[in-house]
Amino acid sequence: MATPLEMLQKVQDKFSDNILKTSDRLGEATVSIERDCIVDLMNFLRDDTDLAFDFLMDLCGVDYLEMGGFERFGVTYHLYSMKYNHRIRVKAFIPETDPKIDTVSHLWHAANWAEREVYDMYGIGFNNHPDMRRILNPDDFEGFPLRKEFPAEGIGYRDNFEKIERLGAQ
Amino acid sequence: MGLESKLGDNIFTTQLDKFLNWGRKNSLWPMPFGTACCAIEFMSVMQNKYDLARFGAEAMRFSPRQSDLLIVAGRVSIKMMPVLQRIYRQMAEPKWVISMGACASSGGIFDTYSTIQGIDNFIPVDAYAPGCPPRPETLLDAIIKLQKKIETERSIHYK
Repeated sequence: MATPLEMLQKVQDKFSDNILKTSDRLGEATVSIERDCIVDLMNFLRDDTDLAFDFLMDLCGVDYLEMGGFERFGVTYHLYSMKYNHRIRVKAFIPETDPKIDTVSHLWHAANWAEREVYDMYGIGFNNHPDMRRILNPDDFEGFPLRKEFPAEGIGYRDNFEKIERLGAQ
Repeated sequence: MGLESKLGDNIFTTQLDKFLNWGRKNSLWPMPFGTACCAIEFMSVMQNKYDLARFGAEAMRFSPRQSDLLIVAGRVSIKMMPVLQRIYRQMAEPKWVISMGACASSGGIFDTYSTIQGIDNFIPVDAYAPGCPPRPETLLDAIIKLQKKIETERSIHYK
């Protein structure tokens, strides 16, 4: 088992050019990176014999609007090693002008649906994803509900149905 | 067993409406459309403690074509509304709808883009059961109210 500092040191040595920030606050290893190196970094974390992160626990989108992120959007990955019982958090930052990032679904199949959910809710596209379409909202839905500018009550989706009248109604 | 031995060869006269309504109100066949916790409460209504069979509505059918009482129990999302409308259309007349719980009746706490704010916006509803979720007694009350409503219906009112 590697301590958070050891893990971060290992990542730092290999990806120093792309790392924006590292943190071991509360004993939790966190790496913030630029999006370009995401597949290389994840591949390294999974296959390195001392890290062996074989389990992608979760993957979720974040809208950092006015919250002090490095960019408008982010995707956060939580990894766990069954072998060593340790964890790491990876934050990849994505600019608003080009919301895209490479998929990691070929590394962990668990990423497939989670990435579709991020696309559905935040409009962040995943390059090379095998099946990039909405997963929760209807296919013809417009807009991305978890973006901060999206109104919570929506823009008429819930009112836009045919009204069935009672048979024989006056 | 039964009325024949008591009544012999006698006959009754009544109005056709009353006779039909008597039969309909005492043999409601519910179709459960359960999408949330209200459906759990509905299960206990069907079980022996509350026992919907006392009101003649124990023949639960999971096909709309065999049912005449649609019980919408739980929140309905925008993705589910077309499904609910199709199920309603598949039911044969005469048919009735009970909107069970705050979510089905008004959207409840889910004032969001994806939740229908009351199914009565889009399909006709005959009785509402308030509560979050309603107690079994509340649903029984709704069914009794519906039976009272059926009693007053006119069979030949369809245009």
